[in-house]
Amino acid sequence: MGRFIARRLVFLVTTLLAVSILSFLMPYLGKRDPARIILQARTGDAAVDPATVASLRHELGLDQPLYIQYLHWLHEVVVGNLGYSFTSRQAVGILLANAIGVSIVLAIVALTFAIVVASPLGVLAALRPNGFVDNAITSITQSFVPMPEFWLGPFGILVFAVTLGWLPAAGWLGPEYVVLPAAVLALRPLAYLTNVTRASMIEVLASPYITAARARGLSTWKTILRHGVRNATPPVMTLFSLWFASLVGGSVVVEVIFAVPGNGRLLYQAVVDSDIPVIQGAILCIVSLVVGINTLTDIGYVIVNPAVAAEATGGKSR
Amino acid sequence: MVSRAEPIALWAGQGSAHLLARGSAGLHRIHWSAIVGAAFFICVCLLLILTPWIAPYDPNAQMLRDNLSWPTARHWLGTDIFGRDILSRLMYGGRFSVTIAAITLVASSTFGIVVGALAARLGGVFDEISMRVVDVVLAFPDLLLALVLVAVLGAGPITVVFALSVVGWTPFARLTRSLALEINTKGYIEAARALGCSEMFITFRHVIPNAWSRILGLALTRFGYQLIAVGSLSYLGLGVQPPASDWGSMLAEAQPYMQQLPLLVLIPGVTIFATALSVTMVGQGLSRRRVPASAAKPLILRPADNVAGG
Repeated sequence: MGRFIARRLVFLVTTLLAVSILSFLMPYLGKRDPARIILQARTGDAAVDPATVASLRHELGLDQPLYIQYLHWLHEVVVGNLGYSFTSRQAVGILLANAIGVSIVLAIVALTFAIVVASPLGVLAALRPNGFVDNAITSITQSFVPMPEFWLGPFGILVFAVTLGWLPAAGWLGPEYVVLPAAVLALRPLAYLTNVTRASMIEVLASPYITAARARGLSTWKTILRHGVRNATPPVMTLFSLWFASLVGGSVVVEVIFAVPGNGRLLYQAVVDSDIPVIQGAILCIVSLVVGINTLTDIGYVIVNPAVAAEATGGKSR
Repeated sequence: MVSRAEPIALWAGQGSAHLLARGSAGLHRIHWSAIVGAAFFICVCLLLILTPWIAPYDPNAQMLRDNLSWPTARHWLGTDIFGRDILSRLMYGGRFSVTIAAITLVASSTFGIVVGALAARLGGVFDEISMRVVDVVLAFPDLLLALVLVAVLGAGPITVVFALSVVGWTPFARLTRSLALEINTKGYIEAARALGCSEMFITFRHVIPNAWSRILGLALTRFGYQLIAVGSLSYLGLGVQPPASDWGSMLAEAQPYMQQLPLLVLIPGVTIFATALSVTMVGQGLSRRRVPASAAKPLILRPADNVAGG
């Protein structure tokens, strides 16, 4: 188990190093000159003085070779300084800390809603596979998967904010602002969680210990709750944490529609403004967060079930 | 003679009945959802192919007198703020959406299949490196990565295809690799090797064709995802650029006027949803036929394998 955890940590470090290179380089893939873009944004003028561009380029260190810029940036990142936004001139670290907090709240609310709805539905569907209830639940939840957020979002605003006036349309000023974006975000994980709960339950309910429990005279519901649900939980938790990692990373579309100041919107705005330090910092932080959560999940899974570690390190890697 | 002819007739009759039974049994074994989905998607494709001949109006023709109109006999699905015919825009826009999604799917799956198959066949350093690359790409929330790539390289359909392919090849590489590892243990691979076939030949002649049906299933479920991803990027203003539009950008353009005319938002959304759903249904229907429900093992889907990350 120790070997497994060590392997995971080495993998974590190498991945993060690769990610840091990628997130540093990504904004430079384009052919546009960042110094020129910043000046145009600041002055609102298409024709900018070449001398000013050159001096700004020097001021921002953009005239040095890329690898030196990278090492310099990496050093600053390790020290905890992600630089300053080109446009708002705020510290990237502070911008990101605020945005990540918002995205985490949104992710937690959305996934709580998803799991609370999905687990009973999945269990119900598993009781009689391919029965009427199962078919109804499965086909309804599966239809959530190809539902585009950029349609559901505006439509939700139209119905619940504009027509009914129950909820605010957009913004992030209080608890009631979480409801609509979280609901839109919850549908897809809800579909997948229902599906996995169902599949896991079907397998568990076919196991001998369920028959044994029934034979001991346990009532149907007691069997399902005490033995069934408990044993069906691990795959559901794995999927849950994968979704958590993915939602914490930020959901651009939903955050843009509902004007939620989370990761996704921060990155979107930075991308629109060509705000290089924010793009680099946001990608690095988001991906580190995702990789970190996934590593923790893997390690937690091994602590719960050591057999997995033997399988993972004993066999061919992946 | 009659008595001699009878058995032959009987045999022939039995034969055709047998064939018929086999044919219809084959159709029966395909889940109805696959047939419905395929029929719907084929209709959509036909409409999109025939668009230049059957679209009622020029998608960019502005009939300002008729703007923001509900469906009428002249404009079957109404008009937008500039008085452009929604049905025509929907049809021309769909050509972009579906084509971009399809090209992305073909590009990303081809690359993923080749990498996955070679990784399994060659093993060693190539395997290790390619799978580490897969892990790194999977660590990025996919839509965020695509968003940054498109924005940096310049908005437009070609960069959208490129960005979504960069993001989308990993599930194919993983699936193909795991299928190929299984196929590698088969006798015919050993036989091909003994005959002196090259690794490339074995990969393309034996491994990929034998993994094909499972890969097709993944591709079908991925199509809906690609369609929505393309729509999301267009919705954010990074896809097809005005005056041309696709389903995502139509929805974005319509949003400010949705209070006056909710249909403007509803129609492109329902179209994307229905098209994505139809192809997903084909994939699900086909997989239901192959694996009986009782034998289906719980499948742990990673969000990144199948789902738009938001």
